[in-house]
Amino acid sequence: MSNIAGKAYAMNVITPIRWTTAWLNKLIFWIALKRPSTLRGLITLSLIHYARWVIIGKNQFPHLDSSQPKEKLHYSYMLFFSNFNGSWDQYVDSFTFAIPGGLDLFWKWNIRYPKSVALTPFHHYIRYNQIETIHYYNAYPLATSNDVKSAKAVKDALIQFQCQSADDESDDNFLQRYNALLRGLQHDLGAMHPTPIVSMSAYQVERRKRWHDGSLQKEIAAQQAAQGGQNHDR
Amino acid sequence: MTGNISGNAYALTILSPIKDGYTPDEIAYADLIRDRLQGWNMEHNSPMAKVPQTYLCRFFVLDDVYTESLPGAGFLDTLSDLLPVVPDRTRRNALPKEDHLQSRYLVFSCNFHGGAGGDLEGYLRGMWGAIGDRIREIWGYCYGFEQVTDADTFITYMKKCQLPAALFFNGSNDEPLEEQLKALYLKQELAKFAAENQGLDAATLRRNFQAFMQRVAPTNLAEPTWPAGKYRI
Amino acid sequence: MTQKLDLLDIQGNIIRAYGRFGYPMARYVFFNIRHSARAREFVGTVTDRVTTAVEWGEGPGQIKQPDWTVNIAFAYQGLKQLELPRASLSGFSPEFISGMKDRRDILGDDGPSSPENWDPIWAENRKNRDKDVHIFIALNARLPALLEEGYAWLTGVAKQYRDAVAILNGHRGEHGALYDYQDVKAVMENGQPTAKEHFGYTDGIGDPVFEGAPNYDLNVRGRGKQLEDGSWAPLATGEFLLGHIDEAREYPPAPEPILLSRNGTYMVYRKLHENVATFDAYLDEQGRKYPGGKELLAAKFVGRWRDNGAPLVKAPDAESKQKFDAEFAAADQAGKDKLLSDFTFDDDMSGAKCPFSSHIRRINPRASLQMVKGSKPGSMIFNKDAFDTPGALSNRRRILRRGLPYGEVKDRSRDDGNHGIVIMMLNTDINRQFEFVQQEWINYGNDFQEGSDKEILLGNHNADNKFPSKAVLQVDPNSDQAPYMLSKIPRFIETRGGEYFFVPSLTALRMIAQGVVDPT
Ligand code: HEM
Repeated sequence: MSNIAGKAYAMNVITPIRWTTAWLNKLIFWIALKRPSTLRGLITLSLIHYARWVIIGKNQFPHLDSSQPKEKLHYSYMLFFSNFNGSWDQYVDSFTFAIPGGLDLFWKWNIRYPKSVALTPFHHYIRYNQIETIHYYNAYPLATSNDVKSAKAVKDALIQFQCQSADDESDDNFLQRYNALLRGLQHDLGAMHPTPIVSMSAYQVERRKRWHDGSLQKEIAAQQAAQGGQNHDR
Repeated sequence: MTGNISGNAYALTILSPIKDGYTPDEIAYADLIRDRLQGWNMEHNSPMAKVPQTYLCRFFVLDDVYTESLPGAGFLDTLSDLLPVVPDRTRRNALPKEDHLQSRYLVFSCNFHGGAGGDLEGYLRGMWGAIGDRIREIWGYCYGFEQVTDADTFITYMKKCQLPAALFFNGSNDEPLEEQLKALYLKQELAKFAAENQGLDAATLRRNFQAFMQRVAPTNLAEPTWPAGKYRI
Repeated sequence: MTQKLDLLDIQGNIIRAYGRFGYPMARYVFFNIRHSARAREFVGTVTDRVTTAVEWGEGPGQIKQPDWTVNIAFAYQGLKQLELPRASLSGFSPEFISGMKDRRDILGDDGPSSPENWDPIWAENRKNRDKDVHIFIALNARLPALLEEGYAWLTGVAKQYRDAVAILNGHRGEHGALYDYQDVKAVMENGQPTAKEHFGYTDGIGDPVFEGAPNYDLNVRGRGKQLEDGSWAPLATGEFLLGHIDEAREYPPAPEPILLSRNGTYMVYRKLHENVATFDAYLDEQGRKYPGGKELLAAKFVGRWRDNGAPLVKAPDAESKQKFDAEFAAADQAGKDKLLSDFTFDDDMSGAKCPFSSHIRRINPRASLQMVKGSKPGSMIFNKDAFDTPGALSNRRRILRRGLPYGEVKDRSRDDGNHGIVIMMLNTDINRQFEFVQQEWINYGNDFQEGSDKEILLGNHNADNKFPSKAVLQVDPNSDQAPYMLSKIPRFIETRGGEYFFVPSLTALRMIAQGVVDPT
């Protein structure tokens, strides 16, 4: 399994809601969509590439074939998928510290939701209802969503700079424009290096990276040689 | 469903029911799917790197739903406590019920660039075209998949498995993937250039910058750029 | 809301940074347990002499200030050897149980900072039962002779219990000699202790203020938590003391029974070597190029000027610094304190004064993470009301700092002398507080929208060309300047060892000593 792909973490949470109140959740989401201020805290946190909430009615699980047994459920289910940057703790904690009201609003109608303050019961609730991802693909493992956004600022600024260049421009004028370019991008030039390890399970990711580098096979071979061919299966 | 679209980004949610059966090696189909997905983690890069316009996507197997047993403060959980004398039967009825799924589901959740109109068909067509054989390797044990023979039937099938998002939050930008990757490349290169050329006189800086712009070619999306799924620097 | 703490039950080092209370030197001694029952007796004997947080006074019925202090803490392995019940042991936090060495990847202790290069006492810890660090005892003293007096007492007690505990050797000192203890001492100037560390910065200013600590209401501005209306409130006690309500209005997770954990806390002990030659050379080299000159650049690394600790947000350039200095010289102690501590980053959201990568902004960003890009290119603005409270992202990441510099710089042109800082950080959740800061804010910059750029002073910078470290020193978006790029930042600080400890209350110490801790 792999909840992590570079700097992104894939979270899946599934929680039951009474089918009688599922519509309320939908209404709340609809309002959130219409009133962007509801999402201001999320935008300021700036930890998420993309996130979504999906509500599956108790009779709405896909049914593809007559041989497939019909679902018989008491509840409807809310699925939450997020692609965030940082560690699990950082993400869940940042949410509860910064936008507890928003969280409560979205999950309020879920069965046995503990409220986001205090922290420990909320941690337990998310962990309890989380499902691990088996395969996670990220088109830019080295980048956070901040990086993707600032990269666009860089690209736009460079193209604009190019357009404003003139052959008869003086060197000093160029320098002024160049300084303005960097000044305008002073919060967009962070390096993109491999992530610091965010959890112990990131060892897996690290291992995979080394495997990509072609170095893991060598390491394993060297280890095996050192152990005199002992079978050390870990 | 507009809930799936935010700006130019599209949220695709697929739940495909997996057949209740097993292989001659006595491995349940759902577990086999999981093992194969596990195998994707060991490949040089994910097969999904080949699928045009994929930002981020994930696969997992939903074995069952969870029964809530933790104490909670959901609205109706506490309402029953307010009644002065709650008969035991009522109290028991207010306890969370136990639910179980009849099938296990392959879940595929994908964020891609679909444009303002949310071109789902175009995306799925691209997916089939790029990795049709790999799709079969994963989806082959799902109900109804035997009807998939080409891109069109794949699209029809996926739409049957699709669930709408109630809310889709787009916290990134939603440009076409090639634009994003090019931009990331430019960001890294400009930061390097700025550090290396700091403090030079205007004329030299200008010359170096011109050479830099020639080399990085900001409007050329094809190259130089980052490949999708790039892990290493 | 207001609560009174039982200061007689709380160890003195939790409440007091001794260095600021007239104890400019200390000796840290570590023990390995050889016999459990007798070791509990040893703990009991030491406990009788442990310094509490009680207020000192000369009046009748008051407790006199001691000449030297004693404090004690335990590593997980030590608590196991003291035979705490399994049910209590398993209630400690996972990172405390695993120990600092095991957390190396989280902490960024790589290359020269990696455990193989730690002082022998730390390198051998948790490898071999006989070399495990079990008990930590700290002696702080007013004068060298008094420190020796305290040490003579401690070694005397240890001798009495030599069948039960052994002092662990292996602290590197001058010329690589190995010692039975870690000595630390304020940097001296003209025979007087100073608040300086070896790079020349004034240290020991910022320390969180929490509810119930003595005089917490007097100096809360700039040290507590920033509120919407511009006022400040003390942080919740439970951020620093177990068994008290924390910022999430719950009791922080702690081992049972409550008597074991209440009024105790976790302590992070870290020995950090300072590469003074590398630091000086880099500062000289970059200082020659940096438009504001060398001293301003040094201030940009930390967020405070070296000479008197003036915060950059109040004194962003030479001119304003002169004004600050005049005010500072004229102020009384309380006024000085206010000048140094009472500030926010609200008027410096873009980082033009105090850069995002500077030490104090990364470690205590106050309310500045409630930020979004402004419409003016290169600007960040305060996004009022986006969060529940402006300091939402910092209030649960605060740490109490204790400890002192060690060694002496004899030759500033060499890195390899015996000089650095032993820093001890106190918090109730090592993972949420110390480790988070170390990992996400020091060795990584995404929360500050700086990608992988690290904190300038402490970052585990890479010298190699593959991932060279850099930092952007922001400028005023309305100026005509370019941001200054600090490139190829070398590693100034190297970890030389450390461990996570539990600092019990006096009640818990007595219970541990008697072997009566019982969570059933
Ligand atoms: C050898 C290494 C270090 C040096 C030279 C150093 C130096 C300094 C200096 C000069 C200050 C400013 C004065 C003050 O506010 O007290 C400071 C503040 C601070 N440092 Fe360090 N420090 C070091 C390591 C650390 C570490 C490892 C941490 C924790 C992870 C840390 C946490 C803090 C905190 C919390 C503050 C106060 C920030 C505030 O509240 O404004 N320091 N340090």
